[in-house]
Amino acid sequence: MAESSSLEHPGLDKAAGEEFLQEAFQILLEEAVRKGMDATEKVCDWREPQELQELLDLELRSHGEPRQRVLERCRDVIRYSVKTCHPRFFNQLFSGLDHHALVGRMITEALNTSQYTYEIAPVFVLMEEVVLAKLRELVGWSSGDGIFSPGGSISNMYAMNVARYRRFPDSKRKGSWALPRLALFTSQESHYSIQKGAAFLGIGTDNIYLVGVDERGKMIPEELEKEIERAKAEGAVPFFVSATCGTTVLGAFDPLGSIADVCQRHGIWFHVDAAWGGSALLSRKHRHLLTGIERADSVAWNPHKMLMVGLQCSAFLLRDSSGLLQRCHGASATYLFQPDKFYDVSYDTGDKTVQCGRRVDCLKLWLLWKAVGTEGLERRVDRAFAFTRYLAEEVKRREGFQLVLEPEFINLCFWFVPPSLRGKEGSADYWSRLGKVSVGATVLRPAPSKP
Amino acid sequence: MFVFSGHPRFFNQLYAGIDYYSLAARFITEALNPSVYTYEVSPVFLLVEEAVIKKMIEFIGWEEGDGIFNPGGSVSNMYAMNLARYKFCPEIKEKGLSGLPRLVLFTSEECHYSMKKAASFLGIGTENVYFIKTDERGKMIPEELEKQGSAPFLVCATAGTTVLGAFDPLDKIANICEKHGLWLHVDASWGGSALISKKHCKLLHGIHRADSVAWNPHKMLMAGIQCCALLVKDNSGLLKKCYSAKAAYLFQQDKFYDVNYDTGDKSIQCSRRPDAFKFWLMWKALGTTGLEERVNRALALARYLVEEIKKREGFQLLLEPEYANVCFWYIPPSLRKMEEGPEFWQKLHQVAPVIKERMMKKGSMMLGYQPHRGKVNFFRQVIISPQVSREDMDFLLDEMERLAKDL
Repeated sequence: MAESSSLEHPGLDKAAGEEFLQEAFQILLEEAVRKGMDATEKVCDWREPQELQELLDLELRSHGEPRQRVLERCRDVIRYSVKTCHPRFFNQLFSGLDHHALVGRMITEALNTSQYTYEIAPVFVLMEEVVLAKLRELVGWSSGDGIFSPGGSISNMYAMNVARYRRFPDSKRKGSWALPRLALFTSQESHYSIQKGAAFLGIGTDNIYLVGVDERGKMIPEELEKEIERAKAEGAVPFFVSATCGTTVLGAFDPLGSIADVCQRHGIWFHVDAAWGGSALLSRKHRHLLTGIERADSVAWNPHKMLMVGLQCSAFLLRDSSGLLQRCHGASATYLFQPDKFYDVSYDTGDKTVQCGRRVDCLKLWLLWKAVGTEGLERRVDRAFAFTRYLAEEVKRREGFQLVLEPEFINLCFWFVPPSLRGKEGSADYWSRLGKVSVGATVLRPAPSKP
Repeated sequence: MFVFSGHPRFFNQLYAGIDYYSLAARFITEALNPSVYTYEVSPVFLLVEEAVIKKMIEFIGWEEGDGIFNPGGSVSNMYAMNLARYKFCPEIKEKGLSGLPRLVLFTSEECHYSMKKAASFLGIGTENVYFIKTDERGKMIPEELEKQGSAPFLVCATAGTTVLGAFDPLDKIANICEKHGLWLHVDASWGGSALISKKHCKLLHGIHRADSVAWNPHKMLMAGIQCCALLVKDNSGLLKKCYSAKAAYLFQQDKFYDVNYDTGDKSIQCSRRPDAFKFWLMWKALGTTGLEERVNRALALARYLVEEIKKREGFQLLLEPEYANVCFWYIPPSLRKMEEGPEFWQKLHQVAPVIKERMMKKGSMMLGYQPHRGKVNFFRQVIISPQVSREDMDFLLDEMERLAKDL
């Protein structure tokens, strides 16, 4: 596709470009989507890093390449990539492929826009508000606020920052220098983004008080109370509690009602990291796991995990509807958020975020939801639970497999005990030898065969 | 109402147009849906990211370095701010800021507003961002920087400011930073792509003296939103030390491959999109020369537009642009005889919003307007896409006349 350097004419060959797109699309449909979801194909085509570097010919050069060569590269990239949509990809807290969501993602890419103002992304600004309202409804709030952010880690950071701002509004301008030592609380099983958040926000990882969990990985509310008292006695100011709904490894749900009681008593911001477990709210049968979530001040929920909408799709939801998010993050840049626009500028929601340019993450979720309905999403969630139950029973039945604990969500944790180690639980090096065998926790979330 | 940023008359933001290679790459990554934290889950995209970072570093002029792709230039600026803070006082990662002496940072009056958002997010506080004066062309005045009393932990220069497209004088600023041992970050989110052009890279002369650089290929190079890199001169693992949390469920040390390839712990994010790939595929297809032609073409068209504006009655340039931002007023016939006093400016201020409304309701084109530094609402025309030609520039001026002649 040679580009003309003459300014008289467009410097882009649209016909050739569209042909290239068509060909690339056929390749990805066949190699990434069809084969990717085929159980008879490999999940991954393993290569050592150095070998893969050579195979891919990564070097960027001064001259371009002919179209066929570029298409070959597309094939190679797909071939050597892990097929996260494969029915036997269980490695992370996301997997599978939903065709509606994929279409939503492709439309998003073709439109290539940022989501800061109504003038730039009218459809998506409105859509985001509708989707967030729906998620809030499932949480149990009839009003509130929120935004989509680039990941659960950042959603958790938003919560931390808004909590700090509410407690100490001056800190936005003055910083945290003159503040007393702040203390935040989360369970020992919480996601590591709480640590990264505390460091990033200038709060300090030492000021995270890790609360003990029971044998099922759930936060113990009495321990939370103790830690809060301890922090106060040390002269720190507790400002943030993060409970987890669906911990990363064990899939445990903290007891939200009791934790809410503690937070209320002490006047501390109650955040629920439901990045993983939030989707259980869609299931009438299983939503009891999150009983009490409506008492939270903020919730993080990632539809890109269990709902398979595609990375990234992470909602930061806020119970407050007084504009706290806007006050906390707003900077009123005059080149974007002019007050004299010809439409109602309260639709320009971009100033609520810490980002400037921001991807459109709502379309893929909205399109999927429109296609399958809340009922369709509920069926998926219920199906994943049912399969987990099935696998747990099979694990118990089979010799050599040992459950770590009974799952309450869809994380199934087990050991495979090879024949040579069976019956040797008493020996001193049993666990270290077993540790060399194990592949760690597995997460069962089969892609549904029908939407 | 639907807005298509790929349209040849979409000039509203610092991104525009469509690159077919980037789009194909984006379709591929959507279909594959990977997360770039570990080699085991994302072998190709992780290696691609490392290769792209290495190439971008080469253009900055460093022998070696480090970097990561982020969800936005604003986030890249935050990374740089936090990294500089960590270098200054590594204890802050564990202890936080409470009780420490207040740190300040310097940036220009024309900097991107993400500097303020970053300062408050990171706990530094917006009051501790000191804005250094700029000259009439929107460039930071180095002497003003030197005059400041307190010692900042970070100085942020901008290469390609958002509104005027100005480039701070990096060599002079680097001299001051070196003299006082200050971390120099260059926010080249918008202007960084000029580095690809042998003709125009002099705008960023001195950038190799920076400690960190933010550069967004999704802007001038049309790599697709988002594609934003933070590049760091340090090669001692500072980025990783600053950001890592060593989560045992992702970054196990007993894996069957070399875990140095698991670069995800350098990030504040956990799951992360493969944003470097679309840039890589486009670069492979076009080559550096193809990308360079794009930058040169955009700036040549900007030059053409400037000449046309000077020729036409009723159009007035704000200043001679040095990049792809062409800032101008349209003065409708009814105001042309008026003297340039407060009444004139007040009336002119009201013109741009009306023209904007009309162009959007007609759907013929889109460009942005804003007031800036005491100047009333003016238009900011931004040229990026190779699809745009002289015809579109002529159209822009003709259409503006058509839309506004009755004002």
